[in-house]
Amino acid sequence: MPAIPVPTRLQSAVEALDLAWRNRVFYLFVAPFAALTIVFGLWPIALSIQVSLTASASALSPNPTYVGLANYATVLADPIFITSLWRTLWYAALAVAANLAFALGVAILIDSPRLRAGSMFFRLAIFLPVVTPDVAGYVVWRWLYDRSFGAINAAAEQLGLPAFGGLSSVDTVTIAVLIAELWHHAGFYMTIFLANLAMRDRALEEAAAIDGATVWQKWRFIILPQLRPAIIINLVYATVQFLKTFTVVVVMTKGGPAERTNFVSYYAYQLFDQGRYGEATAMASLLFAIVIALSLGAFKLSEGRGPK
Amino acid sequence: MMAQRRGWQSSATTAALYAFATSLSILFLYPYWWMCLGMFRNARQVTGDPLRLWPEQFDFSIFAEIQRIGGVSFWQYVANSFAITGASTVLGVVVTAAGAYALTRKPELPGFRWLRYGFLVTIMYPYMLLVIPVYIVVFKLGLLGSYAGIVLFLALGPIQFFLFDQFFRTLPREVIEAGICDGANEAQILFKIILPMAKPILATVALITFLINWSQWFPILVISRSPDTFTLPVALLAMNGELGSNFRGIMALAFVTTLPVAVLFVLAQRRVMEGMAAGAVKG
Repeated sequence: MPAIPVPTRLQSAVEALDLAWRNRVFYLFVAPFAALTIVFGLWPIALSIQVSLTASASALSPNPTYVGLANYATVLADPIFITSLWRTLWYAALAVAANLAFALGVAILIDSPRLRAGSMFFRLAIFLPVVTPDVAGYVVWRWLYDRSFGAINAAAEQLGLPAFGGLSSVDTVTIAVLIAELWHHAGFYMTIFLANLAMRDRALEEAAAIDGATVWQKWRFIILPQLRPAIIINLVYATVQFLKTFTVVVVMTKGGPAERTNFVSYYAYQLFDQGRYGEATAMASLLFAIVIALSLGAFKLSEGRGPK
Repeated sequence: MMAQRRGWQSSATTAALYAFATSLSILFLYPYWWMCLGMFRNARQVTGDPLRLWPEQFDFSIFAEIQRIGGVSFWQYVANSFAITGASTVLGVVVTAAGAYALTRKPELPGFRWLRYGFLVTIMYPYMLLVIPVYIVVFKLGLLGSYAGIVLFLALGPIQFFLFDQFFRTLPREVIEAGICDGANEAQILFKIILPMAKPILATVALITFLINWSQWFPILVISRSPDTFTLPVALLAMNGELGSNFRGIMALAFVTTLPVAVLFVLAQRRVMEGMAAGAVKG
């Protein structure tokens, strides 16, 4: 360190540089990771925000025309986008509730000591769709729903149930998409619930049994509160997951019928495909803001309560 | 008498639970079975009896028919899938391990906290929408249509980072300090001390990255300029989008797309499920 007095700001900068230089090998270790994070993460996000402020026609040129928030105004005034946004939020809420309830139910079932012998097989069966390429899974589901090829309507007919509209009817397309997505995702949430169930304090249940608690009371007051961490993690993951529902739409419905499954990700992509870059990236920014707000909300819920 | 009756009731409950869990598992596995049957049965047979549980014939001729898809050889897609998934997995594991190691070992270094936050922001951004600006970035870098552009984009992922982050955090400090006392330099500490201890986590992350990247399709579709760089899922999507869909071909291609990851998962089920849960819990 030089003995001459230097302004504190400069001094701390020098110290930081010195610290960095002495630890240069760690910068070497982190450099590739930093480069990829910046080039394929932060730069595109910054670019996306920049493009959302420019006119689409000039967005990719070296000297784009800046139009301020005009794209955001266009998007928010677009009735298709507003409908799409509400449908996305509604679908996400429905899908989160269905997936978490299903995953929790299955986790409780599989965790039962009575099913110990078959537990690994059941886990395997429910988790296999998670690692199955989503395109492959949804392609098969698309045909399962088909009126003439599909097994689902044939099964409904055999059971004497009314025909299921599947992907071609506005009344059933949401539930059909939801079932296919549940098949693909629920195993993941189940695994998190199972990990949490395995970590719980079983002494509490024994104590409750001695005190004469019923099965319902045991679940409601002893086990469920201990599952709080898993519920919150799953809530965040599932919310982020279903807000950006995309692949299932591309493979099975293309947004239809009657725009019923034209969720925000898909609509934004369509605009991008038509070269309407400004509006597409404005939608991306809006969805990003919603995802961040909802995730922060869920984290706030969990703040300071129980171990993470 | 009483105890006997209770025992009977208890085994009846167990049987009911088994029956329920088994039917649920069968429902979850049924689409795979139906997909396999679809490879062998022609359209008339499927529409005539969609619920048939055994194929009329084991007819593998469909694989000869899908030797070329969209003007590209079937084997090219297979090779692309293995090459792109393999390369992005190796790159991702090495880069993420080194990065997470440095970030957890020396969090106080200038810029490291910002990098961590930057990465967290990146993974919060809706993935499908990130791909749109990534197209522009890849275009500016001149990597559009190249394997390099695809592999570099697929290398990083949140679960991978959180698994390494968690591992390096729980690593006892004494291990590293002992190395420093023995006069080892940082490279020696990393390669001689940390790396041998990290073998299990490296294997888990490699496995999970392979499974995740094998399934990728959207970035590959966007970065590609022609089907020459498509992987199996992208080829399947393209075939699914064609008019006058070839049902048998689609089922056969879906089967080929699913088989490698399904086998890998069944062989390493415990590691995959535990790894994915752990990576998510820390995230």
